[in-house]
Amino acid sequence: MTPSKPDDALSRLEYHVLLAMADEPLYGYALKEAVEEESDGALAPRAASLYRLLARLMDRGLIEEVEAPVDTPPHPGRPRQYYGLTSGGLGLLTAETRRLQAAAALARDRLGMAERPA
Amino acid sequence: MRRWVDAAVRALLRLYPRAFRGRFGDEIRHQVACDLERAGEQGRIAWTREAAGQGWDLARGAAAERWSPTPAGRWMDDERRLEDEGMGMKTTMIEWGRELSQAARALARVPGFTAVAVGTLALAIGVNTALFALVDRVLLAPLPYGEPEELVYVAGSAPGTDFPGEFPLSPEFFHQYREAQGLGDVAIWNDFTNTARLGDRVERVVMGVASWTLFETLRVEPLLGSLPAEDHPDPDVVLSHAMWTNWFGRDPGVIGETIFAGGQDRTVVAVLGPELWFPYEGVQLWIPEPVRIGEDEQPRFGWGMVARVTPGTDLGGLTAELDRLADRIPERYGWSTTNARLMERYRPVVRPLKAELLGDASGPLWVLLGSVGLVLLIACANVANLFLVRVEHRRRDMAVRTALGAGRGRRLRALMAEAVVVAGAAGVGAVGLALLCLPVLVQGVPDFVPRLDEVRLTGTALAMTGALSVLAALLCGFGPALRGSRGELTALKDGVRGSTAGGSAWRNLLVAGQTALALVLLVGSGLLARSFVAVSDVDPGYDTRDLLTFQIAPDQEHLVDGPSFARFHLDFSERLAALPGVEATGIVENVPLNESLGVQRFLPGTSVADPASAPLLGFTFADGDYFGTMGVELLRGRVFTADEETSGRATAVVSESAARLLWPTAEAVGQTLRSAEGETRYTVVGVVEDVLQEDLRQEADPMIYLPLVGPTPESWAMASPGHVVRSPRAADLVPEVRALVSEVAPEAPMYRVYTMESLAEGSMQGLTSTLMVLGVTSALALILGMVGLFGVLSYAVARRTREIGVRMALGADAGRVRALVVGQGIRVVAAGVVVGLVAAWFSSRVLQGMLYGVEPGDPLTFGAVATSMLAVGALACWLPARRASRVQPAESLREG
Repeated sequence: MTPSKPDDALSRLEYHVLLAMADEPLYGYALKEAVEEESDGALAPRAASLYRLLARLMDRGLIEEVEAPVDTPPHPGRPRQYYGLTSGGLGLLTAETRRLQAAAALARDRLGMAERPA
Repeated sequence: MRRWVDAAVRALLRLYPRAFRGRFGDEIRHQVACDLERAGEQGRIAWTREAAGQGWDLARGAAAERWSPTPAGRWMDDERRLEDEGMGMKTTMIEWGRELSQAARALARVPGFTAVAVGTLALAIGVNTALFALVDRVLLAPLPYGEPEELVYVAGSAPGTDFPGEFPLSPEFFHQYREAQGLGDVAIWNDFTNTARLGDRVERVVMGVASWTLFETLRVEPLLGSLPAEDHPDPDVVLSHAMWTNWFGRDPGVIGETIFAGGQDRTVVAVLGPELWFPYEGVQLWIPEPVRIGEDEQPRFGWGMVARVTPGTDLGGLTAELDRLADRIPERYGWSTTNARLMERYRPVVRPLKAELLGDASGPLWVLLGSVGLVLLIACANVANLFLVRVEHRRRDMAVRTALGAGRGRRLRALMAEAVVVAGAAGVGAVGLALLCLPVLVQGVPDFVPRLDEVRLTGTALAMTGALSVLAALLCGFGPALRGSRGELTALKDGVRGSTAGGSAWRNLLVAGQTALALVLLVGSGLLARSFVAVSDVDPGYDTRDLLTFQIAPDQEHLVDGPSFARFHLDFSERLAALPGVEATGIVENVPLNESLGVQRFLPGTSVADPASAPLLGFTFADGDYFGTMGVELLRGRVFTADEETSGRATAVVSESAARLLWPTAEAVGQTLRSAEGETRYTVVGVVEDVLQEDLRQEADPMIYLPLVGPTPESWAMASPGHVVRSPRAADLVPEVRALVSEVAPEAPMYRVYTMESLAEGSMQGLTSTLMVLGVTSALALILGMVGLFGVLSYAVARRTREIGVRMALGADAGRVRALVVGQGIRVVAAGVVVGLVAAWFSSRVLQGMLYGVEPGDPLTFGAVATSMLAVGALACWLPARRASRVQPAESLREG
């Protein structure tokens, strides 16, 4: 058997996708741009990869298709599909962030990295 | 987004499961378009890189969604990580690079295996590359004319008449068909050998005469000068590039020069480029002429017609239109009832010009390409077999990888990597091999195949090498890799040795397949070999040994009519006979195997039958001791006397079959005959043996021989007949003959100098070269097949050492063990032979046109090939069997 990830694990890209939606629902291209920006350009999923990921996240019940926010200016051409976090998605994002924080604190201690003054 | 890009994206999306495509397809398309647009702003390179990346992303995504073994379209774990980082392609390349260098190192540790695998594939791919380069240039490259696909060749057929199956047309058709709606430009041409003279240089060269429309129809541009654009009676000539080079030293000022050709001085108006040839490469110059209709209302058949089809016309409709137009020809040109009757049966024949010009070459070349394709399959089967064995050895390795968490994709990749390395190395070797064997191959191809000097290893041929290498990697690597990548963990258990029944079944199947393919090739070359022997055994009615033939074309003031030319040539023939070592000499207008005969209708002199229904017979003119020199046997009566040779007595000698045709019940000698076109009655003085005039593979033509001089001096004149010389020194006689020619007729070119033996060989050239190449390929196939069998059996014996040891410990003797092993091998070979015989039964039909004196299903050939295949198979089994019978029971049991 191929060992597989437990269902509550998140890859880097999955984490950043969920993170990008935490503020407000986003449509595909905006999502991609947000991920690219927020990961300092390290993550730049192409269209097919991104939507396959979205399909997976939807299957896991972490995100859902939502109506466009009311204050969105009308978009010429075909209407955009927006995706937003479900409560499960928000929960997992929060839990993962806590885990990362704890791991980061531990790492700082162990590696002797003092927190720099801002 | 550019339309084709969108189409490509749609096509890739089609690979996704419908549910996924329906839900996200439009959004993905939109987003790809946005990304490409943005990349496009940074320049073309950025755009291309982005497009490649998107294509890769879409393709691998589709593969994952469809075939991923994990639920909900989730790719395997390691793959998912790579993809998530958005660097799928790059990372995959790195991973592949790692696998490939690992594979290369692993292969370097087994040099024997690697050398055999690479060598086998390189040989097969190399032969394929070379032959493909040849076929690509000769058959696939477009003809060197403008819009060549619109050009057709038009001829006629008249089923139910004694006209040959298909015949070239007459000038009347040119005028009539120019009115056809379905045809644009129309041209007719003819080619012949005639004297060309420039200063002191005199030679007989092949020339073409054509309607002035020829170059317009072909849409070609000259290298120099201008091609005739309208009908005018000026004596012009268009030079081929070869003529311009050889006769004028590529003088750029050649336009306007005068050269004597085709009976008069002509002005050079144009020079053609080196790539231009029509209808074959030997034509040295072209004479554009107005198309004249004979005033005697007799059609002069024998003109080839080339025409350009109006775009949008279908060949069926065109044929019908040409048929209708031809119906009006007899009335319009006042043809006789005989010819009008012929036209009632007339059917136009229209086919692409390419088929007409390359038709003779295409059959054998495709057969050869097919045969080397089979060799490649056999080679792949061989190497696949080697890989199967190797995969068995790597079962533990794969099991370890599985245990460490490598997915099946990873394991598949690891195993495929070796096949890729082997095929890649083979591809490189193949290019070298193709470079080596291409010149040899070109040498072996008959001269009538056009464009041979243009054959090179082009980019297309190299691309083919690449494609074949990829194909080879897949064919010989994928099956074994698929098997090996299952990675059962049981292989990790100690002491489990490959008792893999499945594996040996696969190997046996491959060996049987190889045997079958090799048998198909062997049957093919067997049939050709039998044809070759049959043709060599044909009695042509003359003796081809010790014979020299040539022609001279004297041009002297006193040579004006039949008797003067006859006197000249007979005197010359006597001088030839006086040369040392010459046994006999003779004269004939059409040398067998070199020139075709003229045909006319002949009927018995007393016959009152309609001349139009008389049989068409070949006729030629012969004198001196022609029959004696050639060894054509005189059956009854006598040959021409010296008196008849110069004075003309209206006598004839007929061949045996002509005698039987004209006088089925009576003795021919003493009878008279006449031509349907004349009133003169010729008395038959002798009957001679039939001879094969045109080709050793055809039936003997009934023939009439007439003397060099007709009933009146003006009846006919043979200006440049062929001379035949019998001498044991035939081939060495040429310098002395040349000296004699320059003595008696310094102005006369000597040409068509051949020994009869070389003419006989030439007439079999197509058969000989096909036989040679097919013979080499089938030998290759046989060797590869047997090496495969040998390898499989050796491996099987090695694996069964323990079992054999047990048997021998229990009392089986060496003979029994040998029989066991040989029996196992022979069963596989026999299965392959049966399948191969069935396949050969069907495939040998493509050889039909090349066979002579043997049927495609010849039981003797099939039986002999099957038997020798089994014998060679038994031989390949013998060594492993002997090794098996020497197993020491005690030792083998200890090893286990």
